[in-house]
Amino acid sequence: MTAPVIRTRGLVKDYGRTRALAGLDLEVQRGEVYGFIGPNGAGKSTTIRILLDLLRPTAGEVEVLGQAPSQGGPAQRARIGYLPGELALVGRLTAREHLHHLAALRGGRGVERIDALAERFTLELDRPFRALSRGNKQKVGVVQAFMHEPELLVLDEPTSGLDPLLQHEFLALVRETAARGATVFMSSHVLREVETVADRVAVIREGRTVDVDSVQSLRARAGQRVALTFAQAPDPAPFAALAEIRDATVDGNTLHCRLHGEPDGLLKLAARQRVTRWTARDLDLEDLFLDLYRHGPNGADAEVPDAR
Amino acid sequence: MRADRLPSLRRVLRDHRRAFWIWGAALVAITVFYMSFWPTMGEAMQEAIRGMPQGIMAAMGYDRMDTAGGYLNAVVYALLGPILLLVHGLSLAVRLTAGQEEDGTLELDLASPVPRARLYWERLAGVWLLLLGLVVLVSLGVLVSNPLFDLGVTLPNVAAAGLGLWLLVAGFATLAFALGAASGRRGIALGAAAGVAVVTYVFRGVANAAGVEIYADLSPFSWFLEPDPLANGFHLPSTLQLLAISLVAAPLGLWRFLRRDLLV
Ligand SMILES: Nc1ncnc2c1ncn2[C@@H]1O[C@H](COP(=O)(O)OP(=O)(O)O)[C@@H](O)[C@H]1O
Ligand SMILES: [Mg+2]
Repeated sequence: MTAPVIRTRGLVKDYGRTRALAGLDLEVQRGEVYGFIGPNGAGKSTTIRILLDLLRPTAGEVEVLGQAPSQGGPAQRARIGYLPGELALVGRLTAREHLHHLAALRGGRGVERIDALAERFTLELDRPFRALSRGNKQKVGVVQAFMHEPELLVLDEPTSGLDPLLQHEFLALVRETAARGATVFMSSHVLREVETVADRVAVIREGRTVDVDSVQSLRARAGQRVALTFAQAPDPAPFAALAEIRDATVDGNTLHCRLHGEPDGLLKLAARQRVTRWTARDLDLEDLFLDLYRHGPNGADAEVPDAR
Repeated sequence: MRADRLPSLRRVLRDHRRAFWIWGAALVAITVFYMSFWPTMGEAMQEAIRGMPQGIMAAMGYDRMDTAGGYLNAVVYALLGPILLLVHGLSLAVRLTAGQEEDGTLELDLASPVPRARLYWERLAGVWLLLLGLVVLVSLGVLVSNPLFDLGVTLPNVAAAGLGLWLLVAGFATLAFALGAASGRRGIALGAAAGVAVVTYVFRGVANAAGVEIYADLSPFSWFLEPDPLANGFHLPSTLQLLAISLVAAPLGLWRFLRRDLLV
């Protein structure tokens, strides 16, 4: 296996007395699309700014493309495309002028792709910044991050401010970028925004990694929401006693529950009575996500298998 | 092609083009305006000065205001020039470091493959060039006024005075720039640099009025004004003293800028 593109071990960052990162572990492999998920204040932007050498860690190890950011210097940053979480664009300059300036900082790399990318995201290049909406400014950020075709993209909440159509276009761009072999590391406070493109997801909370898994198995672990309607009102107790059933409640003749694992036990139990109607739908990853936020992987819910 | 190798410098000049021409036009206009009083004011001024307390007049450099060169020196080089250029220069310098760091516009520049040190030096060079341009415009205003109002100054001496004015203002601007880069705090950097400028300006006046020239010589304003470049031309020791402000401040600011967390 080749060396990871991003690796942190026990990364700690303090802002004065505030501990923003409390021992963060990450390992992002080459060619992955990696979702970096956590609620506001979890330490996503702090981590990302350490990767870009804007902040220096208080303790722990960090490596990007095989080198510590403080050692990698300009040569390392030349291989990275960065989209800040809060992109500041002010003044009289137009998007075109600014993008040309940023390309000039990269020795002119990427200039030739500005027009095509702007067209793809319907960005009006010749308007001054102060006439640009938040969404349009975000487009400038997307264009500058991708235009030089870097081998690593570090994107801090990239889809915020983009309308659904452009989010779709953006995710398509991420897929193409991954297809040409680049690595994409993108943060979000909403899992939904990354689940369609991410291969793996790390969930962080209060500066610690609480879970790392593939989106597929996360989804499997999220389980299903099942509703069974019987001819007569059922007794929830025997259902609740099943290991793979959680949150069993009865509403009239209908039993609602969450299923994690095989449905076999539930079906056999239900079949003892007459079932008039049933639905089962995959749980939104958000539900799992909320669990992780609340309890972590080793929290109160024993049915959730440990991530590692 | 050369400009492409200095993208940060080019960006500074472009961003401040408008402000530069506005300040430049104002400085030229003010210079010519004040000099235009000389032919009518010359005699009245000589009368007035004889009636004033000598200590205070000397402190302000007004004791020589009874000659054209003395008037030019007191009004343009000792008062309006430094004050206006410092107001502009300090805020420019602080904006290019802490100001842009605080408003976040520095973030993409810092994440680019340009070394931090290079960003620092190119931006500082931008400050120096813009201030040089403004001093050149002031000097042009003086040279235009010279034959019109019969000031009797020579080109080499105007150049020497311009050099001194540039080094003085750029020195304080470099201090502001270095403080901004070192602290990342606009208010602190601007306050501290402006404070040093005001204190040393007032200090010189008070020390001169009290007749303690040894103290007055501690002020950079004295380094610029005491050799009276408008009358005596280029003066190497004082030029080196003025340069020293920048040669000390700039590397210290960079040293800290390279080591600290940015955008926090
Ligand atoms: N400049 C700063 N000074 C002090 N505390 C900060 C600073 N930036 C972030 N923090 C704190 O560090 C924690 C992590 O912040 P951040 O990395 O921005 O989180 P996220 O990007 O996940 O929302 C938060 O508790 C935040 O309040
Ligand atoms: Mg953030």
